[in-house]
Amino acid sequence: MEDFIARYGFLFVTILQQALLGLSFYLPLMAGQLSLAGIGFYSLGGYVAAVMGTHPALAPWRDSLGFLFFPLEWLCALALSVPLALALGFPALRLRGIYLALATIAFVQVLGVVVLNLPLAGGAVGIFGIPQAFESRLAYVWFFGPLLALALLLVWRVERSGFGRMLFAIREDELAARAMGVAITWRKVQAFVLGCALAGVAGAMSAPFLNTWNARQGTFDASVACLAYVLIGGARSKWGPLLGAALLVSLPEVLRPLKDSRMILNGLVLVLACVYMPRGIAGLFSRRKGS
Amino acid sequence: MTLAWFLQNLLNGLSIGSVYAVFALGYTLVFSILGIINFAHGAVFTLGAYCTYVLAVGQFGLNGVLAGVSLPFRLPFALALLGGAVLSGLAGVAVERLAFRPLRKRGADALLALVSSLGVALILVNLIQYLFGAEIYSFPADVFGDLPAAMLFKVGGKMVAVRSVQVILFGVSMLMLAALVWFIQFTRAGKALRATAENPDTASLLGINVNLFIMGTFFISGLLGGMSGTLIGVSFGLAGPYFGVAYGLKALAVIVLGGLGSIPGAVLGGLVIGLAEAFLPPELSSYKEAVAYALLFLVLLVRPQGLLGRNAEQKV
Repeated sequence: MEDFIARYGFLFVTILQQALLGLSFYLPLMAGQLSLAGIGFYSLGGYVAAVMGTHPALAPWRDSLGFLFFPLEWLCALALSVPLALALGFPALRLRGIYLALATIAFVQVLGVVVLNLPLAGGAVGIFGIPQAFESRLAYVWFFGPLLALALLLVWRVERSGFGRMLFAIREDELAARAMGVAITWRKVQAFVLGCALAGVAGAMSAPFLNTWNARQGTFDASVACLAYVLIGGARSKWGPLLGAALLVSLPEVLRPLKDSRMILNGLVLVLACVYMPRGIAGLFSRRKGS
Repeated sequence: MTLAWFLQNLLNGLSIGSVYAVFALGYTLVFSILGIINFAHGAVFTLGAYCTYVLAVGQFGLNGVLAGVSLPFRLPFALALLGGAVLSGLAGVAVERLAFRPLRKRGADALLALVSSLGVALILVNLIQYLFGAEIYSFPADVFGDLPAAMLFKVGGKMVAVRSVQVILFGVSMLMLAALVWFIQFTRAGKALRATAENPDTASLLGINVNLFIMGTFFISGLLGGMSGTLIGVSFGLAGPYFGVAYGLKALAVIVLGGLGSIPGAVLGGLVIGLAEAFLPPELSSYKEAVAYALLFLVLLVRPQGLLGRNAEQKV
């Protein structure tokens, strides 16, 4: 058993962490909106935690607050993410269709350039030696696990609320939803902001977990990977991101013997899943509710 | 702020901007027919650059599977450019067959097509890495034969350098634009293509083979993508199999700026972004990669349909 934990424990924690990111992509998708901003907010949250954890000016705070300093980092990441997400969401979500995806790609790219030029963020090298919350990296399960449970609970509650039904109505038919009196732009922005806030906090938790933080945490490729979790896991179920993250994070481990051609196979899995499993893994289990 | 400074930046901006325009037109063509963004376009761009390199130089790099293989011939640059473009066109057709057609048959969500095209992009980029290796390729200095590297002109006491590469970039791009406009506006096939873009079902009722025209669109789109990949590659080098991804994203900013689905819009957007990058003050040069996206945000705020886009009517 110990051997098993030693070998696969890190993988398990990574799956939880990536599932959080997947869930942050799932939230705007509940309203049918494709956003790739999650990874940008993840990166931003990570930088908040990394800077707060290492900046000399904050040393007295760290000493006096001790472990409580970590929740403070999460709160700061949250406080930064929400207004930024609002500012990003409103102009893009006034429009229908692909604009949110394009605007969020642009956001991720701009953030990458800004971070590289910001001395505070350590430039291309990034930030090293971020203080650890736990001795063992496996213990980060106590960070990601509760947050994931909380996020899933939130999504579960939202799905059953009037708000959730409005989101689903927008997903199915935006015009019809508007005709029924749903304030579509505002509801879409709310779903988007929820996703961004979750990604921001997940990032703030991840910076100590990964020990270093740099611009490579927030690339376009990484956001594609998160999107793949949701779509392969199932874009119409809150379990989708978790299932997708479990599959896609373990896949490279399983495929390790293939070495260089591994990524080619990864792409193939993505294409085949889209064609033959359009409702994702979760869709295989769900009863047919009429699509 | 002298005249020479202005002319130099104008030249730099127009030459790179015209390539952005040609590249972005690849997105525009597919978008106007299918209403979908083909995210594999950046990978096709990369493929075009690599294929042209191999055709022109006759050798592969050192750490791919094909390391040490050499072709029995070396093509002159113009032919290699054409060859690379045709191969990318075929790759475009393959992208359509693999990522778009199966989903279209099932009437699947447009979101899925987006992800499957990202999947194909992943396959293409890693296939390039597998075959050509991850190292940087750069075209040899004598790739244009005896053409001098640059010509210098004296304007108002200052020098303006016109690099041959820039002239080729601008010339080839303009040629491609002219050929495309001619094809779409003045040929029978172009007319059928416009009909397909307008309404595929009606076009099909009128006897137009819609699938064939969609395939043709992807071929032209791939052709434009591969050609612009070569042009950027010959100007700045091929910085590894991922170098097309960044340009692919930048070209998305171009089409939003010009207006999604608008051909003149893509051209104008490309030129505007090229010029904006060229005229960026030197002290901000490290933010050059963000210029295109900043313009995208601006246009979303001020004029969401893009510079030349039409306000899409909402149909139930």
